[in-house]
Amino acid sequence: MAFISSGYNPDKPMEDRITDIGPRHYEEFYPPVIKANKGKWLYHEILEPGVYVHVSETGDEVYTVRTGGARLMTVTHIREICEIADKYCDGYVRFTTRNNIEFMTPSKETAYALKADLESRKFAGGSFKFPVGGTGAGITNIVHTQGWIHCHTPATDASGPVKATMDVLFDDFKNMRLPAHLRVSLACCLNMCGAVHCSDIAILGYHRKPPILDHEYLDKMCEIPLAVAACPTAAIRPSKVEYEGKTYNSVAVKQDRCMFCGNCYTMCPSMPLADTEGDGIVLMVGGKVSNRISRPTFSKVVVAFIPNETPRWPTTTATIKRIVDVYAANAKKYERLGEWAERIGWERFFEKCELPFTHHLIDDFRDPAYYTWRHTTQFKF
Amino acid sequence: MPEVEFKGKKFVVDEDGFIDSYANWSEDWVQYVKTQEGIEELTDEHRKVISMLREYYEKNGIAPMVRVLSKVTGFKLKHIYELFPSGPGKGACKMAGLPKPTGCV
Repeated sequence: MAFISSGYNPDKPMEDRITDIGPRHYEEFYPPVIKANKGKWLYHEILEPGVYVHVSETGDEVYTVRTGGARLMTVTHIREICEIADKYCDGYVRFTTRNNIEFMTPSKETAYALKADLESRKFAGGSFKFPVGGTGAGITNIVHTQGWIHCHTPATDASGPVKATMDVLFDDFKNMRLPAHLRVSLACCLNMCGAVHCSDIAILGYHRKPPILDHEYLDKMCEIPLAVAACPTAAIRPSKVEYEGKTYNSVAVKQDRCMFCGNCYTMCPSMPLADTEGDGIVLMVGGKVSNRISRPTFSKVVVAFIPNETPRWPTTTATIKRIVDVYAANAKKYERLGEWAERIGWERFFEKCELPFTHHLIDDFRDPAYYTWRHTTQFKF
Repeated sequence: MPEVEFKGKKFVVDEDGFIDSYANWSEDWVQYVKTQEGIEELTDEHRKVISMLREYYEKNGIAPMVRVLSKVTGFKLKHIYELFPSGPGKGACKMAGLPKPTGCV
């Protein structure tokens, strides 16, 4: 397409430049009923999975229909969301912190008509465009990252495994059978963008091979002290390297100390470590962020490695499904996955979920590792 | 990697316009980046920032942190942006011939 100017003048880049105006104020986009009742809400109720109502002290009601979103969306799809919002909600719509879409309306009839309409919309391949659900003690959307779509450090994909996992867990998106809500998150490398460190079930991309060194370019591309300082186990040191008769400033990696975090690649483009067979997925469970009953906790590693199995990641999704089902069958009401595992003991968790316990799961990172070992005779055979 | 030609001199650059090697930097490179970065005239203040960046990189092997750059040159971050509209990383480091900033930028 030929170039079409927006009015920006590249010869005078600072002319008519508008900066630091920040985001639009959220009140500009309030539905009238929300604006009128802000700060006056009395109670709310989940009517059915995906539909809930808030009642105000003025007597006003607002019905919300929550639908799943793929997070990665085309403008066409967003336009369709707008079209639905125009038709039922006077053009108002919002996105949740887990990237679900919420349509709000003051009338119950409209809410149910809206729900029926949303459920009827499908992509050509057959997937629901707007599956209603994600409320209460079920499984809502998966917080995830960029993966092979856009990032340069991933060890696995994001959108692919998320679609595969949500397909397996779809029934739990549509109903509320679990003891408490269960949050699933994915990050495609252990930078852990998003919420994997604090989710009930977390899917994490993981490398198993040390970086490959591009000695010829390393000093030109990288600030070597940064690469050295990026290593959590101090496996990297500066060194002079002979390569094809020339001496280069470069680094040396002590392979015994490398645990394949990939931090050095983040700082230095000449140290790539992605590998088809080496890379895969680690599963973690038991994290939460709320303060309800127990304090917030980190998720713990329970499966050390599952290979990347494109395009459907069957082993990963089967393992997650098994953990969810065992948790649903065994935990008490209101008990989050981590609270349940803590109560029955982690040895029972591994037994019930039929997960092998390997030496990889035993913490060995610096002094705090000691506190994760068992300093008591209290355990179950 | 692509090559750019400026006043008869050739520079190898990456897709973001950073020079391939610190060693290939020259005064012509400064003049070339000036045309790319929307800087009208190179003042002594521009020169001061660039020479500080190059000295620091030669001595330490890394680009200085923004606060170090501010403290040594005496320019507040706001003033550095006035000198280099793209900022200390994309603007000044590029002009000084330092490697492209890395990490989650």
